[in-house]
Amino acid sequence: MESWKAFLEGKHGLLNAPTGSGKTYALWIPIVLDYIKQNPDYKTKHKPGLKAIWITPLRALSVEIEQAANRFAQDLGSQLTVGIRTGDTSQKLRAAQKRQMPDLLITTPESLQLLLASKGYEKVFQDLNAIVIDEWHELLGTKRGVQIELALSRLKTVAPKMKIWGISATIGNLQEAREVLLGPGSKAFENSVLIRADIQKKITVKSIIPEKMETFPWRGHLGLHLIDEVVPIIRKSRTTLLFTNTRSQCEIWFQRILQKYPEFAGELAMHHGSINKETRLWVEQAIRDEQLKAVVATSSLDLGVDFAPVETIIQIGGPKGVARFLQRAGRSGHQPGKESVIYFLPTHAMELIEASALQKAVKNTVVEDRIPYLNSFDVLVQYLTTLAVSDGFFPKDIYPEVKSTFCYQALSEEQWEWLLNFITQGSQTLQAYDEYKKVEIEENGLFKVNNRAVAMRHRLQIGTIVSDAVLAVKYLGGGYIGTIEEWFISKLNPGDVFTFAGKNLELYQIKNMQVIVKKSKVKNSRFPSWAGGRMSFSAQMSELLREEMFVASEIEEASSAETSTELQAMHNIFQRQKRESIIPKKDEFLIETFKTREGYHAIFYPFEGRFVHEAMASLLAYRISLLSPITFSLAFNDYGFELLSDQQIDMQQVFDNDLFSAEYLMDDLQKSLNSTEMARRKFRDIAVIAGMVFTGFPNKMIKTKHLQSNSQLLFSVFRDYEPDNLLFQQAFRETFEHQLEEGRLRLAMERISEQKLVWKQCEKPTPFAFPIITDRMREKLSSEKLEDRIKKMMAQWGDL
Amino acid sequence: MGRPVASKMTKTLTLFNQTFILHPSGAMFWEEEDLLVISDVHLGKVSHFRKFGSAVPQKAIAGNFKKMDEVIGFFDPSKIAFLGDLFHSSLNKEWLLFEQWMETVSAEVILVEGNHDIISPLKYEALGIFITSEMVIKNFLFTHHPEEREGFFNFSGHIHPGVKINGHGRQQLKLSCFFKSKDQLILPAFGEFTGKHILIPQGDDEVYVVTKEEVIYLND
Repeated sequence: MESWKAFLEGKHGLLNAPTGSGKTYALWIPIVLDYIKQNPDYKTKHKPGLKAIWITPLRALSVEIEQAANRFAQDLGSQLTVGIRTGDTSQKLRAAQKRQMPDLLITTPESLQLLLASKGYEKVFQDLNAIVIDEWHELLGTKRGVQIELALSRLKTVAPKMKIWGISATIGNLQEAREVLLGPGSKAFENSVLIRADIQKKITVKSIIPEKMETFPWRGHLGLHLIDEVVPIIRKSRTTLLFTNTRSQCEIWFQRILQKYPEFAGELAMHHGSINKETRLWVEQAIRDEQLKAVVATSSLDLGVDFAPVETIIQIGGPKGVARFLQRAGRSGHQPGKESVIYFLPTHAMELIEASALQKAVKNTVVEDRIPYLNSFDVLVQYLTTLAVSDGFFPKDIYPEVKSTFCYQALSEEQWEWLLNFITQGSQTLQAYDEYKKVEIEENGLFKVNNRAVAMRHRLQIGTIVSDAVLAVKYLGGGYIGTIEEWFISKLNPGDVFTFAGKNLELYQIKNMQVIVKKSKVKNSRFPSWAGGRMSFSAQMSELLREEMFVASEIEEASSAETSTELQAMHNIFQRQKRESIIPKKDEFLIETFKTREGYHAIFYPFEGRFVHEAMASLLAYRISLLSPITFSLAFNDYGFELLSDQQIDMQQVFDNDLFSAEYLMDDLQKSLNSTEMARRKFRDIAVIAGMVFTGFPNKMIKTKHLQSNSQLLFSVFRDYEPDNLLFQQAFRETFEHQLEEGRLRLAMERISEQKLVWKQCEKPTPFAFPIITDRMREKLSSEKLEDRIKKMMAQWGDL
Repeated sequence: MGRPVASKMTKTLTLFNQTFILHPSGAMFWEEEDLLVISDVHLGKVSHFRKFGSAVPQKAIAGNFKKMDEVIGFFDPSKIAFLGDLFHSSLNKEWLLFEQWMETVSAEVILVEGNHDIISPLKYEALGIFITSEMVIKNFLFTHHPEEREGFFNFSGHIHPGVKINGHGRQQLKLSCFFKSKDQLILPAFGEFTGKHILIPQGDDEVYVVTKEEVIYLND
């Protein structure tokens, strides 16, 4: 193995290998071999202390990795011990580990930070010989990735012998991924390799298309109308994984299959992140033992080790990105020479175009980049406080380390000073009557947290994943079932029945942040929905989609034979679209307007993916609102966006004033952001990560509603009193870079400026418009005076 | 008395032949008694957050005092009644600012105690503040929590009332308000760093929303 050789030569590196392809083997073995080489008397003398760390993004995977590590350690007779330390690890075991660390430790990014927050951590890590970051592609584009960068910058100093290795699935920017992991221009980077495990796998994509297209819904996300087409597929293969996009969709599919096909009882299971660990582990083992015919799952089964018996994958609803789709496809057909088969089940008519686009994507192996974060001040504030909580730090030692990371390579000395002031004084100047307490500067210049309460709160809050408050679900007689979002439960009353983990449960009471339930025989129940970000089409996916659309417009024109089955299946819908409007060609930009009971709708179709549309919608709404006072409600999906108002938009003015111009793009976008909620929402996460909003003690968690209003209030307070605060500004920058994808927006605007604008005044909503105008998740933007809006809304009350 | 205090930005209510002026700040002025009523200022909240390591901008502290100065300047009352939750927390250094501020106030000050007012009454009395659990003037009852009492009209706070209004084109606004039902008026929270609780008006309820510039009566 190439990775063994490189590791034993003392190199760092990034190993590109698909999920579950023997990658544990590729790195655990050289770690053990290296120990044996350095300790020739290893059989008789065991040298205690931490020697290697394996970071996994999902604690659910740690057991698998532990088993593999144990196997290698024992087979080679090395006497090395293996241990796990995650949020699930008991207090007792943690204390024991603190006294004596295992030789090989498996942990998560958060738990690694927690180790840095404990006293004497330098001693724990000093003999560390290797650290492996598994599934690095999953961490790369997230703030958890930044946490890893910072932890590594510290460990490089503390453990100079440490070799750093990452494992990543195929993404567009693998070289950059290595640079982020090791630090740009660092010694580690110079002495590193990128190893590609060349496992070419044949992937076949098949769409599930109903016999009759008339029954195909125009919008919707469940896809249950195709349940009868799915069952024969399940019957035909050994084990099938059905991937859904949300946990509620997962619950509903599981329930409905069993209702309609009760013969699957005992052979069908469900797997998602809110179900308790034991059940999940049981399901995973049952897949391996081939006890299950099918498993309905969410992204919780995306990662991890092989499931040999899995022959078939069914993706329900659009996967939004090619990389994710390929990764899921790769979960099947693990025997050598076997091909992977993935079925795509479109949940509504427009998704058939996605199906057609995905076919091409797989053929041409297009994969996306993962964009790393830059200058995440919130994570740095958290990290510096972490160091201050453990042994304290001297800024002159830490600054160069931080600066050596990819994320903070452009950090200026002024910004650094600002951050130090922030953690010690809570702002930039010390004022009278202030009692701000966090990090103190001791006489010798050591930055240190001495207040025990501050330290405890900080340890509880380490982590960068900001989730909604969740409550544990338990049976009245005891027995833990899983966790559920607070906002769903808060809508139920005792006696109400809901479905969770495939069981119908009656709510008995909510007590001490626990939901106490009883089993119920009631058939009709409510399904919880879990929040969770909406994903957007990647640039690559959007481009494929546009191409398909143009193909469709030409085919419908010429009605030629060379059409994919998906596009043929859409013939009726295309016809309907053409009757009311047009299918845009390559050089056309379609705008539709129509009036409904709700108001005046204007729909624009750039086909650029949800995020770009979000940006373009606020930009355009802002520019129109400058012409005259107007208020908009904005909606967007992956195909286009809507501006809805109680007034008619003067479209001629939009054209005459060239409102699609890419000029003053940034400036206008910045101003439009001030009038929408996007930055406010981003700020919520930043405030939590930077420790400005406390999320509470375990089992005594502050309700999300409370936390939300706190960070909302904070946002307004910062805007009014401290708008130059770096963390406040970060909210805007992140919205630009990660939410709105500024670069893509600019390209899209340039493309549109070359297209012909086609404005169709329609009688009623078109098939293309329907999924957008029925979307409930909306932004708003207004240039009207608040007092005027209130008075106008009052006047409208009569006719609502 | 006799000063022209009502203006374009305020709304005037007449209850049992008495005149009450609602101000956009969330304060209310009883003309005949020359009494200014303010509820839920939550002083000390910013300092409280900062003391526990949450870096809320310190300048926000000044906001509440500035706002109180403005509304006192507007009505120039001889009496001021706070309807509870004047101080958010236990004693912190913002109290010193409050002491200094009190020196600038010539009106008589009354505090109707609220659930957050956990600072010793002695501290208030030392500043010349009269502290009570409720206040009755004529047939008007002033409390922190909303109350129904036979024969009285009740003024209170505590709830931080707000309303949600909808318009065409899926428009929606959430605004702080004075919330009036038959024998009761709940004042909005005066404090800068406070949230609001959305109420749904029923039957005879009347809602007066406050914006930075105006008090607007929502008729239906």
